[in-house]
Amino acid sequence: MFNKDFWSEIFMALRRNKLRTILTGFAISWGIFMLIVLLSAGNGLKNGVTGNFADRIKNTYTIWSSSTELPYKGHKAGRFIVLNNKDIQFLESLYEVEEVSPVLSKGGTLIFGEKSRSVSLEGVKPIYKNIQGIKIVEGRFINENDMKNKLKVVVIDKTTNEELLRTTGEPSMIGKIVYINNLGFKVVGVSKGMAFGEMGQCYAPYSTLQAIYNVNEYYQLTFTTKGLNTKEDNETFKTELKRKIAAIHDFSPDDNRGVWIDSEMINSLETLRIFNTINIFIWVIGIAMLISGVVGVSNIMRITVKERTNEIGIRKALGAKPRSILLSIVMESLVITTIFGYIGMISGVGVMEIVNMIMESSGAGTNAEMEMSVFVNPTVDINIVLMATLVLIVSGVAAGFAPAWNSVKVKPIEAMNYR
Amino acid sequence: MIKLENINKTYFGAQPLHVLKGINLDVTEGELVSIMGASGSGKSTLLNILGILDNYDEGDYYLAGKLVKNLSENQAAEFRNKLIGFIFQSFNLIPFKTALENVALPLFYQGVNRKKRNTMAMEYLERFGLKDWAEHYPNELSGGQKQRVSIARALVTSPKIILADEPTGALDSKTSAEVMQILREVNATGITMVIVTHERGIANLTRKIVHLKDGIIESIEENDPDKMDFTKEIK
Ligand SMILES: Nc1ncnc2c1ncn2[C@@H]1O[C@H](COP(=O)(O)OP(=O)(O)O)[C@@H](O)[C@H]1O
Ligand SMILES: [Mg+2]
Repeated sequence: MFNKDFWSEIFMALRRNKLRTILTGFAISWGIFMLIVLLSAGNGLKNGVTGNFADRIKNTYTIWSSSTELPYKGHKAGRFIVLNNKDIQFLESLYEVEEVSPVLSKGGTLIFGEKSRSVSLEGVKPIYKNIQGIKIVEGRFINENDMKNKLKVVVIDKTTNEELLRTTGEPSMIGKIVYINNLGFKVVGVSKGMAFGEMGQCYAPYSTLQAIYNVNEYYQLTFTTKGLNTKEDNETFKTELKRKIAAIHDFSPDDNRGVWIDSEMINSLETLRIFNTINIFIWVIGIAMLISGVVGVSNIMRITVKERTNEIGIRKALGAKPRSILLSIVMESLVITTIFGYIGMISGVGVMEIVNMIMESSGAGTNAEMEMSVFVNPTVDINIVLMATLVLIVSGVAAGFAPAWNSVKVKPIEAMNYR
Repeated sequence: MIKLENINKTYFGAQPLHVLKGINLDVTEGELVSIMGASGSGKSTLLNILGILDNYDEGDYYLAGKLVKNLSENQAAEFRNKLIGFIFQSFNLIPFKTALENVALPLFYQGVNRKKRNTMAMEYLERFGLKDWAEHYPNELSGGQKQRVSIARALVTSPKIILADEPTGALDSKTSAEVMQILREVNATGITMVIVTHERGIANLTRKIVHLKDGIIESIEENDPDKMDFTKEIK
């Protein structure tokens, strides 16, 4: 059945109707192409934005100091609430809290040889690296040993590092002693840094700085949680926490301010939800395009079969069996959809790969200064591509089948006399 | 070869039209029969039923001893392909196929391979003097040439019976005479032939003339074509 003759008949029919073949094919190619481009772009956006959070652990909370909005028990509104060691103890007493990571912030000046630079020195625990998604470009971050022995070690930011290297001609800062507020710290690592403007950012062990400065004031407390998996869990926990902190600091539980509580989990669930919505939207558009392609093929097949009614009648009179006519028409539409679907698929994937390559080499899509990306790896899962193409092929058969079936049913003499 | 018993056919259009009103006819093997009648008398309808291109409502039709009734489309295709060759007034050649491809087409549906198909088709084209026209498309051929191509196509499968609907209807008188001469020669090889015509001159070249009027057979006339001089004007 599917011998050389069969195929040559089909390709002859396609060649004979070049315009028709190309128009249909274009609809199909375009549909697949757009589906792939859209899905890839959606993925790129998702990868870009979620990539910013990817290195962070999701179950973290941050409490920020703030001023009150409501007067409460004799206190006036606008009182600034400063977090302290009592809050840390309270947080550590909670079942849901895994580890509290206070941030002890000190401004200061860093001096190395002739060079001096303004820095913000932050006393943090090792877990802070994961909480903030800090990237280490050289050496290491603060570790448990530093904490336990209250070592005077420091992680400096990349910009500071580069500046120090440039002015001193040293090959590396690792192992060097720098002076911050006249105290010597050994550099153990360089972070990619969240440095803003001219201010450098240095991390030292929390325990070390606490021993030096004996701080009881915090503007930011970060902690990790356990057992809070859903949005509801987190919302409840957050509300309850706010109420208790309000009690400790004597401000109204109904105060919208006082302290800010920020849940990374709630944020990322929210972000994911947005991207899932975008994704659904893209799929709906893509599928609509596919359907319009299939409808196009089906319409054109119907017209073709109509045009060929006389020919089909003649073939029947000469002894063509229904199966042979059915098959040749269905195969024709199948060949169109497959070939042009494949072209659309290849060009869609190709274009997105090129876009990806250009973006990677030029760094477009990421904001270098902010270390933030908005568009990363805009490619699509090959399985999805194959699925889409398969759907197209199946619908190609379906598109050809209806008109083919009609032409088979009509009596030979009616077909031959059709005008 | 052909046996019709009380064949009835009605077209159910806007108004039902009872076209064949009880046709009884026998055609034996090797006969040369014409069906004559005025336009609209039901000649084509009858021939289409004979060719299983259309169905009938009542009666029985036996072709080569087999009852042709409620056939599946596959069986009908089989009958048409193996037993019957068609010749039409409007030739019904496929316009985008060459003369050779047109003649070879029935063999394609018999599953004959391309090489054998083309050899056989070429033999038939040669037989009707169309060797040099094998690669030409129908629109490059004259009416007479087209009809000779379609005769070659009808014969290529060696059918038992040839059905011709006004085979000379679109041809001038000289070409008509040539085509009729070919058909008579084909009949002489033993192939049964039924020719539909409304022209007395054509009917005169057959051995049996069936007169059809208003859907019934009015009379059947025996005829001796050899007493006719078919080189003379036949129209
Ligand atoms: N498919 C059809 N539907 C309805 N009426 C038809 C159809 N084919 C033919 N007729 C009518 O049936 C009658 C016989 O037609 P036909 O067999 O073609 O006559 P002839 O070939 O003798 O001229 C005519 O009146 C014609 O109009
Ligand atoms: Mg007629």
